[in-house]
Amino acid sequence: MRHGKYPFVIGFLAAPVTIYVVFVIAPYAQAFYMALTNWRGLSPGKFVGLENFQRLFTNDDAFWKALQHHGILLLALPLITIIIALFLAFMLNVGGGSQKGIMTGVWGSKFYRVVFFLPQVLAVAILGVLFQAIYRPDGSGMINSLITKAGLEPIGFLIEPKIALWSIIAVLVWQAVGFYVVLFSAGMSNIPKDIYEAAMLDGATRMSMFFRVTLPLLWDTLQVAWVYLGIAAFDAFAIVQTLSVDQGGPDGSTTVIGMEIYRNAFTYSKYGYASAMGVALFFLTITFAALSLRVSRRESVEM
Amino acid sequence: MATVTYAKASRVYPGTERPAVNELQLDIADGEFLVLVGPSGCGKSTSLRMLAGLEDVDGGQILIDGRDVTHLPPKARDIAMVFQNYALYPHMSVYENMAFALKLRKTSKAEIDRRVKEAAGLLQLEEYLSRKPKALSGGQRQRVAMGRAIVREPQVFLMDEPLSNLDAKLRVQTRSQIASLQAKLGITTVYVTHDQVEAMTMGHRVAVMLDGNLQQVDTPRALYDTPKNVFVAGFMGSPAMNLKTVSLVDGGADFAGIVLPLTREQIEAARTGGDKVTVGFRPEDTDIVAASEGGLPIVVELVEDLGSDANVYGHAEIGGTSERFVVRTDRRHMPNMGETIYVKPRPDKIHLFNAQTTDRI
Repeated sequence: MRHGKYPFVIGFLAAPVTIYVVFVIAPYAQAFYMALTNWRGLSPGKFVGLENFQRLFTNDDAFWKALQHHGILLLALPLITIIIALFLAFMLNVGGGSQKGIMTGVWGSKFYRVVFFLPQVLAVAILGVLFQAIYRPDGSGMINSLITKAGLEPIGFLIEPKIALWSIIAVLVWQAVGFYVVLFSAGMSNIPKDIYEAAMLDGATRMSMFFRVTLPLLWDTLQVAWVYLGIAAFDAFAIVQTLSVDQGGPDGSTTVIGMEIYRNAFTYSKYGYASAMGVALFFLTITFAALSLRVSRRESVEM
Repeated sequence: MATVTYAKASRVYPGTERPAVNELQLDIADGEFLVLVGPSGCGKSTSLRMLAGLEDVDGGQILIDGRDVTHLPPKARDIAMVFQNYALYPHMSVYENMAFALKLRKTSKAEIDRRVKEAAGLLQLEEYLSRKPKALSGGQRQRVAMGRAIVREPQVFLMDEPLSNLDAKLRVQTRSQIASLQAKLGITTVYVTHDQVEAMTMGHRVAVMLDGNLQQVDTPRALYDTPKNVFVAGFMGSPAMNLKTVSLVDGGADFAGIVLPLTREQIEAARTGGDKVTVGFRPEDTDIVAASEGGLPIVVELVEDLGSDANVYGHAEIGGTSERFVVRTDRRHMPNMGETIYVKPRPDKIHLFNAQTTDRI
């Protein structure tokens, strides 16, 4: 066995590594190179060094705006989603019968579980169409029809630059919550039942149970959720593309880097410049993931 | 410090016919160490959890110190429980584990510190106070679980098979520690186990359960000497009592032609259960006699040499079937395998049970 070990291992590794190199690593490398050219799609591009990056960081308002939006998304999306999902997961799993000792969810929790997960199965394009109808700025919009009936001024959810981004964040949260409810539920069901029982005998109320027992024991899962949502916050392209007015508008108030890449590449045919943005996004995302894993690292808890 | 009363307390799990605990009637005195024992599924753990408030009570009442706690939540009952898997909080240190309940009760820091240190001293846990549970051995975790219960200074201790995750040697050691700790603290304790040796050695009184029904409550000695029915007789004691249902003849019980003499009253009482009677005798209540003295001929299959004495396992033909017997002998009479020995139960140490109702005669 010792003898033929390496051919054996290499035999298994060869196929996946080849596929990974050809379809993942090579395009990345290509994009990195493209970012250093002024390729416009037709004639072969000229090597321009770091000119694209220089322009990107000093002379591109849209890019900086997009970066700002990612900052907001990065804070709001994980925070809001995790808080809502944690609350719902707690209610679904242990929020119900703590009074009589059997840890069950609130009444009808099985039904809610399905309902919460439903948005997750919808394609983003459908979400875009759906929420365009919901957010429509006049009395025919689902929300505004209620508001106007109540005698108030309709709200321009997507056309008001100040609230357009938040309207989009709301959709993102609404869609993401279901998945994280499931994730946290799985985490909670990993916590042994007798720990809850011991806490109950120790006199824990629902609140102290949540903050002193459930939450610390869910730390690993929370960390994973935070990284996932943070990475999602660097994307958000599809929903902006389908839902926002003017694809990132009004007046760039909802644009994201993905949107700017798309615009530069496929509308302006500035492939070299778009690649430079892509490279910047790549480093942003990877820095975030590394940082958040480092910061939130704690002694992992063994149950 | 408190008394505990189960007043016809029942638990029926939804969707089942037979109650898991059926009208349990049990009075536990202040400071008593009561052991609930029985085979798995007999309802002993359910009974304990009913007292803890972790299980609904579907009928009857549960009283702690005369106060009806039947429908009170666990935290309002002033009880502490030691779980089989200890249920320590994995993210807290030993100190925090023990202090948790007191913290929730808003006890002052100084008082918490005093009580935790005191309990840690009692359980030899001082040097581990800052450790997390995963850095402790099984025995240490067990002691932390005990400590968590002790610092509460509760009215009642509940213990749900607290020794079953320890290795045999540690179990014996911890057994005596728990018993002496309970004696020192004097707190009413209800202890659940499936191990009859634990029950015999630890309990002031032992309650034997089967299929949700209480069979007998008494001191370990009384349970051993006068079991109330066939189940209790067979459950308590190791190796188990020899229990055989044989024909009733004039003058006694018929063991394959060898008649075990019974009194007239005994025979009359046995007759109410038909023409059979269940006879029991403990392995140590036997004598090995010469073939001519009319003992039960037993073919030896296995001899367990325990050093001071030996358990002899064998079988005898009774009424066409092969029946297994266990006999305890001293070293001088150690038989060999395959040999036939003649065994006579001591007449005054025989237990008789009605063959139909299985009750003691």
